Amino acid sequence: MSKLLIDVGSTYFKISSDEGVKQKFRDFNKTIFDDLSVSFGDTITKYDKQDVHICSSANGGLSTLIVGLTNSFSLKYAKNIAFNSGINIIDTILYHHIDESAVPGDLLDVVIVVGGIDSIGGLYDEKLFDYLEKLNYSNVVYVGSKKDADYLKENIDNLTILDNIITDKLKVHEEGLKEYLTNLYQQDIVGKEDIKELYRLTSNQIYSTPYIVNQSLPLIDARFEVINPFIVVDIGGATTDIHYSRDLARDNMVTSSEYDRLVFKKLGVYKSKESLIFAAKNNEFVYELLNYLNVTENILEEQSEKATRILMQLSIFLVLCKVSTHNPLYITLDLHILKSIVLTGGITKVLAYEEVEAIVQFFYKKILNTTATPSILLDSNYDIWTLGMNALDDKRKQNVN
Amino acid sequence: MNKKVVTGVVGNDIHVVANRLIDISLQARGFEVFNLGVNTYLEEFIDAVVETDADVLLISSLNGEAEGWCRELQFLRAEYELKDVIFMIGGNLSVGEAANIEEIVPKYKSYGFDLVFHQVDLNIGLDTLEEFIGHKS
Ligand code: B12
Repeated sequence: MSKLLIDVGSTYFKISSDEGVKQKFRDFNKTIFDDLSVSFGDTITKYDKQDVHICSSANGGLSTLIVGLTNSFSLKYAKNIAFNSGINIIDTILYHHIDESAVPGDLLDVVIVVGGIDSIGGLYDEKLFDYLEKLNYSNVVYVGSKKDADYLKENIDNLTILDNIITDKLKVHEEGLKEYLTNLYQQDIVGKEDIKELYRLTSNQIYSTPYIVNQSLPLIDARFEVINPFIVVDIGGATTDIHYSRDLARDNMVTSSEYDRLVFKKLGVYKSKESLIFAAKNNEFVYELLNYLNVTENILEEQSEKATRILMQLSIFLVLCKVSTHNPLYITLDLHILKSIVLTGGITKVLAYEEVEAIVQFFYKKILNTTATPSILLDSNYDIWTLGMNALDDKRKQNVN
Repeated sequence: MNKKVVTGVVGNDIHVVANRLIDISLQARGFEVFNLGVNTYLEEFIDAVVETDADVLLISSLNGEAEGWCRELQFLRAEYELKDVIFMIGGNLSVGEAANIEEIVPKYKSYGFDLVFHQVDLNIGLDTLEEFIGHKS
């Protein structure tokens, strides 16, 4: 019996069955369950609950603020782990400047506090508690020196304490925090009432979409015309994700995973269109890029198919800029050694190969000053997603047997 | 408690042999070593001292880059109030045959280093460090 795969995005659904892959814009007047039933009811009823697999990215992820002792160790390690777990970093605070640091107004899903190897203590005082007091957060987790754990526990309500992410040799230890954040993310997605209702359609666990894409990454270069190192760019309605081979990261951190992920929460083409336009207008190359695409900036205010295409092209450009230049909040990738760019998500249904190529060429020429560009692959049939869903299902079956 | 030393090679310098020797020699002398390896920037050194609460920062430089990097030491040192940390540097501290060898040590001391060893054998340097620690405590 074949499988039915369903992906619930922030702006559209896609389903993959024997009949191929279909997608549809969501109707926000309906619940996800009703919307799916109306659009794809005929297909869905053909499948047993155990053959239906669902993933979702319908909420755009969690946000964090990190307080750390230094840039080169605590903040760098925590940032890296947060990104890999799909968490958006709102800000990072250097502990010793904490009393002069801005207090973000956003509701933060989690605050991370980190610093010091286990054998040292006495790193924190009232300054930390005063600052936390001013923040608006749902969870707070401490992943620094063991010696200070008790003191912080006494002074911070509902503090979760996990393994120090800094080892006694000053290297990174990811597991504890990564698992905690990944679970938080997973809970956030599947805990939504709308998503819970989908268990009426499936007897399998519902996963987050980035987790699924991550499952397929080690298989990608074997299955597609992709050469390592590569990046997978998933431009969605609310967020844009980059999954990348670790060889591209210039941070000489030794980690267990071969592939990592970055999320750009405000670079989606529908739900976060305004902030995408804002980011574009603040990029010094964008006007030149628009000129190169033979349009004027007025297009950004338009509501047309053409305007959507341009926005998608801009988001590819902006994401490449964000990861290539030194930006304290993001990880810098060495795009000079990049061999392939794979695009996936709704964007591949809209943009033609040439439109993507034009952007990549412009980017490499203008920003990296080279005419050598990586190969480009459009995953227009959502093969990566199907691969990831199937890989996960195979793993599950192996575990059962 | 063993004294803690953060060490590494500053800047874009990749001469690794001395760094390995320093790591081994320090351990043999009973220090707890945090070796950041070659290619380490000054801020990373300082940050490592902060994260480990180290007693000594031992920077090495072989290819002649040291001067460019170390001028900033005093600012970073003041920023983190690292009063009690011993700052030490050694290797080839100038480019080529420096015209004024005798100026090298005072210059690096003015950047904030307590102990400076230009083209001095490692063991002599480490003996001096141990003496210095002895005097301090
Ligand atoms: C091997 C070598 C290389 C190899 C390095 C391989 C590797 N990954 O380690 C390669 C070929 C890559 C290389 C490259 C370069 N090198 Co080279 N290299 C050498 C060489 C021949 C030996 C270095 C070595 O390993 N010695 C053995 C170790 C054990 O000795 P040591 O490094 O001198 O360290 C001792 C002391 O200095 C001391 N010490 C070191 N640190 C400290 C710290 C303290 C606190 C103390 C007390 C003592 C101390 O203790 C050690 C043991 O006694 C030296 C020349 C020489 N004979 O020394 C040049 C030399 C160091 N290189 C030099 C140069 C210029 C370069 C290049 C810039 C050349 C170029 N134009 O490309 C590049 C720079 C690359 C880079 N990014 O750093 C110059 C530096 C000149 C200067 N400072 O004015 C030297 C001195 C050659 C010369 N006479 O011109 N190099």
